[in-house]
Amino acid sequence: MNQLPQKYPFLPTWCPGCGNFGIMNAIKMAIAKSGHPKEKFVIVYDIGCSGNMSDFLDMYGFHGLHGRALPPAAGIKLANHDLKVIVVIGDGGCYGEGATHFINLMRGNHDITVLVHDNHRYSLTTGQMSPTTDKGEATKSTPEGSIEEPLNPLALAISNHATFIAREFSGAIPQLSARIGEAISHEGFALIDMLQICSVYNPKQDLRWYREHTVSLEAEGHNSTDKAAAWTQAMREEKLPVGLFFKADRPAYHSQVSELQSGTLVNHNKSVVDMTTLLQDYR
Amino acid sequence: MRVPNTLNWKVGGPAGEGIMTTGLIFSKTIARHGIKVFDYTEYPSLITGGHNTYQVYASQNSATSQYQKLDVLIALDKPTLDLHHDEFYDNTLVIYDAQDDKINIEEHNLPVKNFNLPMVQLATESGGSRLMANNVALGASMFLFGLDLEILNGVIQDVFGRKGEEIVTKNQNAAKAGYDFMKMHLGQPILTIDKVEDKNYLTMTGNEAISMGAIAGGLQLYTAYPMTPSSSVLHVLAEKAKTADIVVKHAEDEIGVINMALGASFAGVRSMVGTSGGGFCYMSEALGLSGVAEIPLVVLESMRPGPAAGMPTWTAQGDIQFIITASQDEFPRFVVAPADAQEAFELTRLAMDLSEKYQTLVIVVADKLLSESRHTMELESTQFNNTRVGFEENPQLDEVGFYPRYQDSESGIGKRTIPGQKDGYYLSNSYEHDKYGFASEEGRVRVEQVDKRAKKFELMKGEILPQYFEDNGGEMTLVSYGSTKGAVIAARELLEQQGIKVNIFNLTWIWPFPVEQVEKVLSMDVPFAVVEGNSTGQLGKIITMETGIKITNKLLKYDGRPFYPYEIVQFVRNTLKK
Ligand SMILES: Cc1ncc(C[n+]2csc(CCOP(=O)(O)OP(=O)(O)O)c2C)c(N)n1
Repeated sequence: MNQLPQKYPFLPTWCPGCGNFGIMNAIKMAIAKSGHPKEKFVIVYDIGCSGNMSDFLDMYGFHGLHGRALPPAAGIKLANHDLKVIVVIGDGGCYGEGATHFINLMRGNHDITVLVHDNHRYSLTTGQMSPTTDKGEATKSTPEGSIEEPLNPLALAISNHATFIAREFSGAIPQLSARIGEAISHEGFALIDMLQICSVYNPKQDLRWYREHTVSLEAEGHNSTDKAAAWTQAMREEKLPVGLFFKADRPAYHSQVSELQSGTLVNHNKSVVDMTTLLQDYR
Repeated sequence: MRVPNTLNWKVGGPAGEGIMTTGLIFSKTIARHGIKVFDYTEYPSLITGGHNTYQVYASQNSATSQYQKLDVLIALDKPTLDLHHDEFYDNTLVIYDAQDDKINIEEHNLPVKNFNLPMVQLATESGGSRLMANNVALGASMFLFGLDLEILNGVIQDVFGRKGEEIVTKNQNAAKAGYDFMKMHLGQPILTIDKVEDKNYLTMTGNEAISMGAIAGGLQLYTAYPMTPSSSVLHVLAEKAKTADIVVKHAEDEIGVINMALGASFAGVRSMVGTSGGGFCYMSEALGLSGVAEIPLVVLESMRPGPAAGMPTWTAQGDIQFIITASQDEFPRFVVAPADAQEAFELTRLAMDLSEKYQTLVIVVADKLLSESRHTMELESTQFNNTRVGFEENPQLDEVGFYPRYQDSESGIGKRTIPGQKDGYYLSNSYEHDKYGFASEEGRVRVEQVDKRAKKFELMKGEILPQYFEDNGGEMTLVSYGSTKGAVIAARELLEQQGIKVNIFNLTWIWPFPVEQVEKVLSMDVPFAVVEGNSTGQLGKIITMETGIKITNKLLKYDGRPFYPYEIVQFVRNTLKK
């Protein structure tokens, strides 16, 4: 069979109707509008349908291991804090397999933008329960309905020192893109939990479902500097609020590392290492 | 029987009473006399309570191992008087403090000479606190071996200087009180070891040497999660981070540790991580990421007995088979196993270079014995030059609009770009990928990339250094790896005195396996035996796997203790039926 010449980057291979298309466009727009040159961005991708975006963008990318996208993102930022680092990750990877990284790196306020494609399923592996699946949902791994209560990523982030916490719907592309732009310019750990449609493995939570179940924080006059109000919003059960829950200005991790005050680590020149002082202790 | 100009000293007592500092001061004092040392510590995995010991073997010529028989044992509590009887010989002298520790020496049935040194009383009488009693023991030890009290005072100055002049003086006065008391009651040293002029030794534990070697090799980022016996690398590097101008990150777990380091390395920073067996298991998935994405990384694995939590503060050589294969499928890696502080410094420094040159994983293998034992070593210079290699300075996007980072070539080693560089776009990918890093499941691309990585491995074989080989015209060749070298050398010395010659072949280079060197040595017309710290003979199995040579003689030890030279001596005599 004759193969068509490969187009670079690849054309998206997501299913028709997948929320990832909209999210990718929102990310592209946000980067273009950010005012930073494209080469200053790195996107770290987790393994999942969402992470397959790595093949569809023309930028520096790091497609790591499942659940482990956050640590390399923090490492890249430590190595070169002039870079803008974005994480593209699924709810399975971020809140399940890699939850330790999520919980701990947010405490450090590492300056990374974490975009969680929250479709409430493990989609790449064909539709098992994820940490955000509602209790009682039948999935491939829980045919009689899941027993666990779902994880509440927003409440977790609010109580655990993340400094930029938002939820957006993947269908509202301009709004999502604007929020991603804000997250990118925020100096510190930014989480956007993106409600994403997976029409194949989670057909119930479709466009209509989200219309009925979401409310706008902005319309409700929510004050995003008020942590207690953010907490109340995050704990709501009858509706899923979307918008900016909470934002605080706190120094990012790298700005508190004394060795990085003199510039980016990657530019610390090691061509001559003088160890005279260091070795004195071993005499 | 004691070889001239050597001494074997041990201090024992409860954890938390400064045993480690006392031993360190004694050891540094010896080294400043121009004499070589080998320090060995034993302690349980407890913070307070439990029995701690610090042992210093010193020799003008060669100090490579701990010896069993003690010249002096300083007992800082009662248990020390009872726990070490098999380490006594005719001339052992035991020192204790009858008043303070309420000791009735008769009850302990000591088969050797002993001496009551009122350490606490002398410390307080000399104006110090009871905590300074250990310095009385140090001063007394100076007299016992005819050593120079002034040199001890210098070390006390350097170790306690930060705490202020008053503390230094009080500690020095306590040392003098111990020295004078010994002089008054003994009149002369029990044995003497002569000072050597013009020797300017450094003393380092294996972990200190690994830390310093990494810095010399241009380390920029060290990430780790504490795990004995690797933790002191984290401690040393964190403490020295400012002076060394490096970043040290204690991350959330070992998976975070290695993935963070890989991210940093991808962004152009020389990175290293450290752990022990358990943490290394956690890291194993990401070892493959380093392999497939060709991201340079140095990993320290300091072994302790396992499986699982095993025996945290004891020694073993039981992870080596796992280390050479850990992770999915196949990819090139270097594995080196330094034997002592000198090699630990040099090989870690080299590891930093090799990982960058071949864009690959380098695993530095240590064990508790190497990591925490102190050795004398020498460096010709305190300045080190590093050259960064493998970076494309002026990347060009090719016709498809990407930089072909993984383009196949004769060497298999491509040039890297780093984020921030214009027109250097590529994808660093854990999936099998094409020359730009885009995921590919095409058979042809897969084979090309596997072969490309394999080409690197062929070149890596050219980096194998000569292994440590002593051809003494021996009746037998002892084969070992890593830290076991020291005990084998010490055994060779003892055997020599008994008229038996042995050859020594110690591997510090495990992977790529030094096939030719091993074949050459093992095909000599002399029987050989493999000496290693595990229960199945893993090095032996690797030798067989790589050379086809069968192993018939093995000396294996897996009780958590290092080899003692006398054990190797007995084994050789038994095997040779002598
Ligand atoms: C260590 C490991 N475990 C399991 C997998 C298989 N796996 C790949 S993606 C995935 C879950 C994907 O779900 P999510 O992270 O929510 O992303 P989505 O596909 O929904 O975008 C799993 C379990 C893997 N690649 N690696």
